[in-house]
Amino acid sequence: MFKLKVTDAKLLRDMATAISILVDEATFKIEPDGLKLRAMDPSRVAMIDFEWPKTIFEEYVCNEPTKMCINISELLKLLKRASKDEAVELSLDDKTGRLQVKITGKYSRDFTMPTLEASEEEVPTPKIAFNVKAKTTTQGLSQAIEDAQLVSDHVRIEADPEKLVLNAAGDLMGATITLQKGNDALLELEAKEGSKATFSLSYLAEIIKAASATSDIATLEFSTDMPIRIDFQQQKEGKLTFFLAPRIETD
Amino acid sequence: MWLILGVNFRDLVPKTAVKLEDLGGKVIAIDAYNAIYQFLAIIRQPDGTPLTDSRGKITSHLSGLLYRTSNLMEMGIKPVYVFDGKPPELKTVEIERRKQAKAQATVKYEKAIAEGKPEEARKYAQATSAMKDYMKDDSKNLLALMGLPWVQAPSEGEAQAAHMTRKGDADYCASQDYDSLLFGAPKLLRNVTVSGRRKLPSKNIYIDIVPELMELSKVLKECEITYEQLIDIAILIGTDFNPDGIKGLGPKTALKLIKEHGTIEAALPHIKNAAFPHPPQSIRDIFLKPQVRDDYTLEWKEPDVEGMISFLCHQKDFSEERVKKTVEKMQTGAAKQKGKTTLEKWFG
Repeated sequence: MFKLKVTDAKLLRDMATAISILVDEATFKIEPDGLKLRAMDPSRVAMIDFEWPKTIFEEYVCNEPTKMCINISELLKLLKRASKDEAVELSLDDKTGRLQVKITGKYSRDFTMPTLEASEEEVPTPKIAFNVKAKTTTQGLSQAIEDAQLVSDHVRIEADPEKLVLNAAGDLMGATITLQKGNDALLELEAKEGSKATFSLSYLAEIIKAASATSDIATLEFSTDMPIRIDFQQQKEGKLTFFLAPRIETD
Repeated sequence: MWLILGVNFRDLVPKTAVKLEDLGGKVIAIDAYNAIYQFLAIIRQPDGTPLTDSRGKITSHLSGLLYRTSNLMEMGIKPVYVFDGKPPELKTVEIERRKQAKAQATVKYEKAIAEGKPEEARKYAQATSAMKDYMKDDSKNLLALMGLPWVQAPSEGEAQAAHMTRKGDADYCASQDYDSLLFGAPKLLRNVTVSGRRKLPSKNIYIDIVPELMELSKVLKECEITYEQLIDIAILIGTDFNPDGIKGLGPKTALKLIKEHGTIEAALPHIKNAAFPHPPQSIRDIFLKPQVRDDYTLEWKEPDVEGMISFLCHQKDFSEERVKKTVEKMQTGAAKQKGKTTLEKWFG
């Protein structure tokens, strides 16, 4: 038996939004201590690693570990019907295998949706030795990415011990965005050695936009020509981490 | 025989829909004959007349290869076409049957034209599609000008494509024909070289055709059988090398028999009227020990734009404007993929 309840629908909606940017069918691991999900997008360029302990929820019941796969954009459609401060209850009907979505507040709505065949793929953690760790405000990071998007569809992220630099070069225009130590947007910076790697801006922008609703602080970790790890600090030991594979320029 | 095998076999095969844009950067080994036959069948005028150049030579296959392949390249896919070589000797019965089917379709096509029934004519015309030597040469010529690799298989193209996929030189096989799974293709894509919409035969209804993925490991797991047993099941139902299979024996019964008894030989005492044109082992060997080659190189180059225009526009009467637009599409696709990596590289 599985059941969870939140008093503010926004919490679940933001979670579903963050997951929906990478996967259509989301397989959750439902465990006695909380909810987990780890998945790659179909082109295997990006990965999401998500964990929310049961303490985040108003109510959380899970008697034995199970997996539940749902169409996340369909769930999101239902969650969007709830206004802020309305309560949402999700429960899995063991007999029918359907997920019940109960929204209560101004009035009450009971939706049911099917669950799908759970994915059996266990996504491993990429093995990377990171040389740079930069802690930024999620808002500052989001702004920097929007700046870069004005001129190109990819961005080179560089760091040395003093600064974090985003370099975007389009066919016609270019942009250099600098987050210097001491800037409001850059909270901490550690760089063991100068490092740079290039990433798709459309992935970065979507990830950061979706995650920013759940988090104020983002930690970037990267090394030269390696995937970047972006961790969005969550409340109460929740975890929302993304990995994104780089573009490696050959010539 | 893919119609027989395909129609009966597909009930046993679990598949998932895939989006071409998610296959960016992947190498797809395409069954060239299978694709070209489809182009010859489908790319026709309403009364069934194929596209031709001003000298009356058919160009339907070139139109399909150019536009369909450029769509794949726009998604960043790296196609390699694999051409059939000499068919295995055991295939003669099937080849003769196909020849006769074409001859019959030709008679019906001509009758429908004479009677002024274009829709009927189109239906029969599709079944008359025949691959001429000049079409193979044209196709290879065009692929080379587009900067794409092609591989000449010593025998069955699907066997060669499956071999390349198993070696890791290609990520997927693409064919409408389920035989690729019997040749051991780990991942088979269908509906890659057909367009998004297709008219249902003889009906005024269009259905959406979406690419679908079949994985050999999933097929075996789902059916709880081994790869060798899958081949035995196919032989009972009928393959290109024993097109009739065993009369009255469908896929469900074949699956049950092989699961129960393990092999064709062990199942034989439990099958009425079991007869094979060739010993089952010789058919098995075509799938298990196919003739393939390893001396191929796969390189994706810049298209030779002048060469494409000279061949397609000056010799084959394609529109220069359309060809140029198509080249642009191919190049933007390739540029987008440049340097792209996937996380799998770091899973160690």
